[in-house]
Amino acid sequence: MAETSGKFLAPPKALTARAEFWAGVRDETPLMFGVIPFGLVFGVLGVESGLSSLQTILLSSILFGGASQVVFAQLWAAGVPAFIVGGSVCVINMRHLLYSASMAIYLRPLSLRWRILLGYLLTDEAFAVSIRRFQHETPGPFQHFHLLGSGLLLWVGWQISTVFGVVVGETIPESWSLSFAIPLTFIAVVAPILKSRADLAAAVTAGSLAVIGQPLPWNSWLLLAAIGGILAGWLVHHFNQPAGGAA
Amino acid sequence: MIWLVMIAAGLFTFATRFIMLSNIISNRPPPWLVDALGFVPIAVLTAIIVPAVLIDPASQKIALGDNPRLFAAILAIVTALVTRQVITTIGVGLAALWLLQWAL
Repeated sequence: MAETSGKFLAPPKALTARAEFWAGVRDETPLMFGVIPFGLVFGVLGVESGLSSLQTILLSSILFGGASQVVFAQLWAAGVPAFIVGGSVCVINMRHLLYSASMAIYLRPLSLRWRILLGYLLTDEAFAVSIRRFQHETPGPFQHFHLLGSGLLLWVGWQISTVFGVVVGETIPESWSLSFAIPLTFIAVVAPILKSRADLAAAVTAGSLAVIGQPLPWNSWLLLAAIGGILAGWLVHHFNQPAGGAA
Repeated sequence: MIWLVMIAAGLFTFATRFIMLSNIISNRPPPWLVDALGFVPIAVLTAIIVPAVLIDPASQKIALGDNPRLFAAILAIVTALVTRQVITTIGVGLAALWLLQWAL
């Protein structure tokens, strides 16, 4: 790094750890409007699908990943064999590899303890705001506190809203169809990110396979649809690349 | 048993978040894997959405015409595209579902 610009060696005004932390909290705040309703819905659904209150609440800290928790609760409730439940959760959470790979250059220099903590806190939403800080703002010696701030706010919000959902969920009658809030939450996430033809191919394939695959044993339709959708998106993406482009 | 699966899945999930920060693997994942992983959210979430909307919970059959959840979902998609807000999308979708269930 000897040839790096002077800006890097002597940042104009390096932020303190505290300032980085609160910047992370502040940047994460707008995303909480999506996270808290989702946490509530998960809490309600977890209990509704037959998990105990304790299992539902602890799932939020053991898995700490919304979509995978929903899938875990629903598949487990349906009496699906453990390896299908586990396999589905794993496929859903594989995407985190991308996040930790992108974060690696910024976090590798930290101590093991820091990397374990920040790895645990590395979710979709925390990644989204903190990678922006790492890539686009002046590097600082305490920049990892930004991810600590965004990740911790998300973690606390997710735990509290789950507990709230569990408590409230026990009093909500079935006729309110509150479990429909799950597909609605996912619609809110997916609809705006469908941009390319490859995205559409992934969505259409996954959706179709999910319906066609319903009679399959052990609710394996989800795993089938997910893998099929990923494959379809990847194939369209791959063959749509301009000739001679990077493979 | 359920605890065992929970903890195993939790450990795996942690590994996906941590492994690239560790010194175990020093390379970035190959480009084909990066591309494929980019489609995981769309594929997984759509696979959860479509049956939840199209399949009638009582009869376990595909319902198109007489299906309030389908209309509510279409309204929710429009809301999501226009507002890009999770809470508004949930609100509009649930309100539409309740109204339709009550009216039909």
